[in-house]
Amino acid sequence: MTEPTIMQRDVPRSPLVARVEGEVSRGFWATSWVRFRRRKLAMTALGFVGLLTLVALFSPAIAGTKPIVCRYRGRLYFPAMSYFHPRWENEIFFRDGFRMRYVQNLREKDPDSWAIWPLVFQDPYRRVRDGEWPGQPGNESYAAPNPHNLFGTTHPGVDVFAQMVHGTRVALLVGFVATGIAAVIGITVGALAGYLGGWVDMLLSRLIEMVMCIPALVLILALLAVLDTPTIWHLMAVLGMTGWTGIARLTRGEFLKLRQTEYVSAAAALGAGQLRIMFRHILPNSLAPVLVPISFGIAAAILIESGLSFLGFGAPPPNPSWGSLLNAGRNNLQMWWLIVFPGTAIFLTVLAYNLIGEGIQEATDPKLRQARQ
Amino acid sequence: MLSYLVRRLCIGAITLLLITFMIYGLIRNMPGTPLTMDLAETDPSRQISDEDLQRLERIYGLDRHWSVAYFQWLGNLARLDMGRSFREKRPVTEVIGERVGPTLVLSVTSLVLAYLLAIPMGLFATVRSGRTDERILSTVLYMLYSVPAFVTALLLLNLFYVRLEGTLFQLPLGGMTSMQYDQLSGLGKVWDRLQHMILPVTCATYTGLAYYSRFVKSNMEEVIRQDYIRTARAKGVGPFGVVVKHAFRNTLIPFVTLMGLTLPGLLSGFVILESVFTWQGMGLLFLDSITNRDYPTIMGLTFMFSVLTLAGQLIADILYAFVDPRVTYS
Repeated sequence: MTEPTIMQRDVPRSPLVARVEGEVSRGFWATSWVRFRRRKLAMTALGFVGLLTLVALFSPAIAGTKPIVCRYRGRLYFPAMSYFHPRWENEIFFRDGFRMRYVQNLREKDPDSWAIWPLVFQDPYRRVRDGEWPGQPGNESYAAPNPHNLFGTTHPGVDVFAQMVHGTRVALLVGFVATGIAAVIGITVGALAGYLGGWVDMLLSRLIEMVMCIPALVLILALLAVLDTPTIWHLMAVLGMTGWTGIARLTRGEFLKLRQTEYVSAAAALGAGQLRIMFRHILPNSLAPVLVPISFGIAAAILIESGLSFLGFGAPPPNPSWGSLLNAGRNNLQMWWLIVFPGTAIFLTVLAYNLIGEGIQEATDPKLRQARQ
Repeated sequence: MLSYLVRRLCIGAITLLLITFMIYGLIRNMPGTPLTMDLAETDPSRQISDEDLQRLERIYGLDRHWSVAYFQWLGNLARLDMGRSFREKRPVTEVIGERVGPTLVLSVTSLVLAYLLAIPMGLFATVRSGRTDERILSTVLYMLYSVPAFVTALLLLNLFYVRLEGTLFQLPLGGMTSMQYDQLSGLGKVWDRLQHMILPVTCATYTGLAYYSRFVKSNMEEVIRQDYIRTARAKGVGPFGVVVKHAFRNTLIPFVTLMGLTLPGLLSGFVILESVFTWQGMGLLFLDSITNRDYPTIMGLTFMFSVLTLAGQLIADILYAFVDPRVTYS
């Protein structure tokens, strides 16, 4: 079966045919991408989100007090990974009583050891003390930005830069996971309501209306309070479960419109099942308008998370989050570095997602496209 | 029209029942009760005995299962009794009623300001579309839209409360009046209140401003391309007349919907801002009642917010039929 394609590829063609075919085969998403790419602001925003993702992925290598790689007693370890999950720290370091102090312990307990250290020797969870790192004095409480604490410190002398770098992880995760959950719920509910219609639509529409009527903050705070010790994952789930209504309404509208189209009747005539028609035929064609509220939803989720942490209702304190830095700034108004740096980070991230959302809207909405011409 | 109204009201009532039932279940399952939350603050030597706790629970109706207690609450509500606040030991209606005024002062002032500024800005942006000044204005507004109000609030407090301390421009940290308010003269009282309002109102206004002006502009862009605008221009209507009389008046329909939808926000929209500025409004009351597990107050507020949201949607839909003769509900 593969032979004809190989044959075809080998046949020399005139450049004209190739060009025409190339244009024909360019699909909706490819044209949208070309149009999106023309918007400089949206592309800058996309680049910024990419940069944030890199910062989040490499946060333990940017700021931390644990070596990225170290050779200890003849074996290689990656202690910095424990910033992602506490259990990813090899138990040998517990057995040997390192107590999070790697620099001295590595030197004392194994003179032959070596290690590659993060760019900035600062910890998002604790104060770095005098003599921990050669030539670096211990952190003072509430220090203004200085060469050792680029963005200053908070109350127990914890470095703000390190907290911001590690807080990127929380901000991005909240945006993606919360909106991901919202998108799955919203698309499923909207698709079922729009495609099946009848009493299913009636019931699901009432459900959407009901969730929309509950003030979001009431629901979020109540749900968070029910959990005894909310973690950042609970917060994401709660945000996802409260933020899906806009997506559901839009999906429902799209499905209502598209189920009348010829290709849906064609698919049904060919014997495709309802689920197949819904998710294989209609969904890809209704995805573009749904992407817009998803992008805005990510911005909103990041805003709500930082707002909740700011109020003190967010993830528990040791979690570094931009919002909890602002919370510290609220109680110490004269310490501008606790306000300016996390505030700018939230602002830029929210702005980036808003710009991306707008870029998608302009690139995929045929009405707006015609308006431009 | 009437049958439409009746149907909407019935659906609204069912929605309300479901919402309050759900929220009641949630808040009754939060760890801690109003009694224990209160005790946690007192010293351990004066802690209440188990029998006393049970007695109190019986008095307050906390010993029953929440689903039973919900219907009791519902029954009281039908008799227009929202119960008494655990924290304040006063009827909930009184506690909430006290907070309506301050919140309305904040929200109505900022809403009026936002509309007054947003409409000229939106019209300006439409007329100068694509020019440098329009680009600058739109970019600044767009960026403002992405700055969370609590960040601005902190920055403004850092500037006006900390940096300008001792100067003429210093503004208060929060609250609605100063400590020595009672001793001030009549004019001094007004000035004192104004001073306390400046920062909260600024923060509450600017996000709305960015949103409304974009709303005006996007609606105007659609209208300005219509044929009747070209006709108006062709028959010699001046640029001001075209924009304001012919174009803007035709964009008012979406505005009506928007106003209906902002109705609930008038009372519930400023939880974080009120908390930053310790503005004694509904938002702060809501946060406090959640931390204190003050069930009757939470339920009262939830009920009110939900009623307002439903009413706002209904009003928007009805007004829609009034302003646009093409829309009917019969």
